[in-house]
Amino acid sequence: MPDKSTDLVQGTLDMLILKTLALEPMHGYGIAVRLEQMSKGTFRINAGSLFVALQRLERSGLINSEWKATENSRRAKYYVLMQQGRKRLDSETKEWGRQVAAIARILEAS
Amino acid sequence: MGLRSLLWRNKDSRELTEELDDFLEMAIEEKMGRGMTRAEATRAIRLEQGSRDVTREVVHAARWESFLEICGQDLRIGFRRLWKSPGFTVVAVLTLALGIGATTAIFTLIHAVMLESLPVENPEQLYRLGDNNNCCSMTGTQNDGSFVLYSYPLYEYLRDHTPEFEQLAGFASYLNDLSVRGRSDSAAKAYKGEFVSGNYFEMLGIQPAAGRLLTPGDDSPTAPRMAVMSYRTWQQSFARDPAIVGSVQNIDGTAYTIAGVTGPQFYGDTLRSDPPDFWLPLAGEPEEWRLQSGEVEWLYLVGRVKDGIAPDSLNARLTVELQQWLASHREVIPQRDWGEIPRQHISLTGAARGVDQMQTQYSLALRLLATLSTLLLMIACANIANLLLARGSDHRAQIAVQLALGGTRFRLIRQLITESVLLAVVGGVAGLYTAYIGTHALLLLAFRGAHSIPISARPSIPVLVFAMLLSLATGMVFGIAPAWMASQSSPVDALRGAGRAIGGRSSKVQKSLVVVQVALSIVLLIGAGLLTKSLRNLEGQQFGFVTEGRLIVSLISLEAAGYSEPKLPALYQRLEEEMPRIPGVLSASLSAYSPLEGNNWSEYVLIQGEPPDFSGTAPSWLRVGPHYFQTIGTRLLHGRLIDERDGPGAPRVAVVNDAFAAKFFPKANAIGHYFGMSDLGHSGDYEIVGIVEDAKYQDTRGPAYPTFFLPLLQVGPREPLRGWVSSIELHVAGRPESLEPDVRRAIAEVDPNLTVLRMVSFGEQVARNFNTERLIARLAELFGILALILACVGLYSVTAYAVARRTNEIGIRMAVGAEPTKILTLVMRSALGQVAWGMAIGVPAALAGGRVLADLLYGVRNYDPTIVGLAAIVLAACALLAAAIPARRASGMDPLVALRYE
Repeated sequence: MPDKSTDLVQGTLDMLILKTLALEPMHGYGIAVRLEQMSKGTFRINAGSLFVALQRLERSGLINSEWKATENSRRAKYYVLMQQGRKRLDSETKEWGRQVAAIARILEAS
Repeated sequence: MGLRSLLWRNKDSRELTEELDDFLEMAIEEKMGRGMTRAEATRAIRLEQGSRDVTREVVHAARWESFLEICGQDLRIGFRRLWKSPGFTVVAVLTLALGIGATTAIFTLIHAVMLESLPVENPEQLYRLGDNNNCCSMTGTQNDGSFVLYSYPLYEYLRDHTPEFEQLAGFASYLNDLSVRGRSDSAAKAYKGEFVSGNYFEMLGIQPAAGRLLTPGDDSPTAPRMAVMSYRTWQQSFARDPAIVGSVQNIDGTAYTIAGVTGPQFYGDTLRSDPPDFWLPLAGEPEEWRLQSGEVEWLYLVGRVKDGIAPDSLNARLTVELQQWLASHREVIPQRDWGEIPRQHISLTGAARGVDQMQTQYSLALRLLATLSTLLLMIACANIANLLLARGSDHRAQIAVQLALGGTRFRLIRQLITESVLLAVVGGVAGLYTAYIGTHALLLLAFRGAHSIPISARPSIPVLVFAMLLSLATGMVFGIAPAWMASQSSPVDALRGAGRAIGGRSSKVQKSLVVVQVALSIVLLIGAGLLTKSLRNLEGQQFGFVTEGRLIVSLISLEAAGYSEPKLPALYQRLEEEMPRIPGVLSASLSAYSPLEGNNWSEYVLIQGEPPDFSGTAPSWLRVGPHYFQTIGTRLLHGRLIDERDGPGAPRVAVVNDAFAAKFFPKANAIGHYFGMSDLGHSGDYEIVGIVEDAKYQDTRGPAYPTFFLPLLQVGPREPLRGWVSSIELHVAGRPESLEPDVRRAIAEVDPNLTVLRMVSFGEQVARNFNTERLIARLAELFGILALILACVGLYSVTAYAVARRTNEIGIRMAVGAEPTKILTLVMRSALGQVAWGMAIGVPAALAGGRVLADLLYGVRNYDPTIVGLAAIVLAACALLAAAIPARRASGMDPLVALRYE
């Protein structure tokens, strides 16, 4: 069902996923949970958007994936941030900061 | 990932499913951790995340490979749907084959005639000195001062003084008819030859297929005579015998050694029917004065320009050189034209396509045909769009279900357009075949009588590419509108079965399109009718001779066979004895030329005792032997015909035709009067002994010219146009062509050096005079029939669509008591209306446009009521028949079914 997370612009979701993976490699569900936690419930991703984004990021070479054994001795697909992804995260973060500051300036002006 | 996952689709799909399952499972466990039961948790997650399968499809669809997979699916679905409705598919494919085929055929011709370069090395380096196609031999200043034809001395001067040309070659501006005989041949055969300078082949930069080509060393009066054969001739007449290279052939009485054969693609410097079979060096030109005189301008010049030279500066330089040469050779220009000398210049034009005679001649016609066929193709597209619309409304329920199940409109449009493109491609492939046949037929029609045409009807790569692109574009064009309209149907409405009319506006567009098609058809049909009748009048008229059972043999110049005037009487006697001996020959005669072969002599005459009258056209005349008039079937009106007694020593006589007698002797009987040519002192040369009926010798349309006939062998010493025979007429029993081998043998027995240029039945010779009219008439008929078929298909599809849309309404009408015939008239009334409107527009347009045709028509007025009426009846009958099919279906509907129609 559509929820607030689909309001996120595609590029922003990518950036958030990269940030999540910057801390440690994770599988899909873990990323979704972490995002919800870190945003204190504001962003709830559904499976469709998440996996489309993950597929896109993997194809661009920003993250990589491999099947690994989980705690419950099942196997899960883990995603890890690549060097290129780290660089992209840095530049996106800087850009985002600039945009936010600019918007704030505009909103504060009366 | 990408391509690999196309191939390993299943593995990727399984992994994704597993990953999604894990995700959902972990989400469920988390919810269970908060106290829900598994069932509750599962339901909650299902609500939050959506169905696993849908999610998987969403992720799947985000990949680019899915584009190709969907295309593959669309193609399969499209193919199945077309297979399931064979009637529609066959009609659509045939319509497309005609439309795409016609356009591709025209493009094949346009490409071959106007776009393709000469098959030589770097054709863009070739330039011609001259900007028009004046032919063939002239003297003095040239049209508008633009030099196009050059004398040999002027060619040599330009060649030696213009280093900007790598090679500057000169060649005759016309082809010669050569008499060629090999050592082992029993008789000489006729071939086309071109005289070229020694550096001609070097300038063109082509390679031989065997032996070698001409070099400047061959082009000298003292060098051994060498000739080059064309590959086509080598293949067709000599079976590619390698012994030909180096063999000696007797060409016009001179022994030539064949130096080699040109490459398979090469046809010369000009695209023309009957290209050269042999290339001979200029030094071999038998009329030697052509090489020595600076007056005779008969060569075209083409040169290969060195890299880096600007054409404009070269152009200016050439004009300067021309002026210099003319200044020092003033005597070659007649004194009265000396004032024109400063205006003489040379215009360089690109010669990548050689001498562009054919391009200039057919350019307008080709463009006209291209426009017409494009128009027909667009109409065909519109028709198929209508057919698709009719089909679409049959499939509305199916489409509604597709949309309801979650298909996007975009996906639906994509699928329908894919189906249309598939249809168009199939039509395009069929169209290629149609194009091949069409091009072949067009070439045969346009060049009837030619031995070989260097234009191939087989599709070349550019033509194939063109046809493919055209098919794709066509498919998109006619597919978009119906696909769009189909996707607009609301699934709810369609499922509920509302059979209401959608968009009354679109039916107006459809109907006006049908009206346009009907109008176009009637215009083309009337035009075709007029042209066909005119052609039949032309071919069936009284020419003044009889064409049935006559064979005409044209000979190459007797001089080339080694004859001089004193030898002629003996030759003619032998021929006159031998020809009638051939089994099947009823009578034979000789003459200078035959009627309607393209030749005509004319000369002003002076009547003895009358003042000179040079008004009107000069009378035509010709030299004939005994039995001439009987053989060709021209009737004697008064007096006697030319016969054996009119030999060299006998009194000089003449026979005239009725028009001559009427013009010069309006009140008296012409017989017994005298006349002559050249001057008053000779006005008593010939005594008129007979009057024959008028016969047409050159102009097929106007009345016969006044004509007089002189005996073959009564030639005065100062008379021009001596008694050389170039035509033998035979009156035969049975089919004239069947006697050809016997006639050839008989002529060879008289003298193996006599060369037959052409042997055709008299009927065929006359028919070739009307090649252009026949071509135009056939094209008009073809396009007329095409337009008629399209109009009928159009009317059928619009009517079928209307019936489909109004099915509910028809059911209601029948339920409240309307008879089937009333339904029939209801549907037909609309069709009738469209046809009537179409004719109302088309017939006046045809009559107005007919005035353009007025000059072309013979014996039929451009508003001929019979033709107009006939065309209208044919069109109306076909169109109403086309509309009657769906109308009958409508009237035969079961009202219960119609009412329930979804």
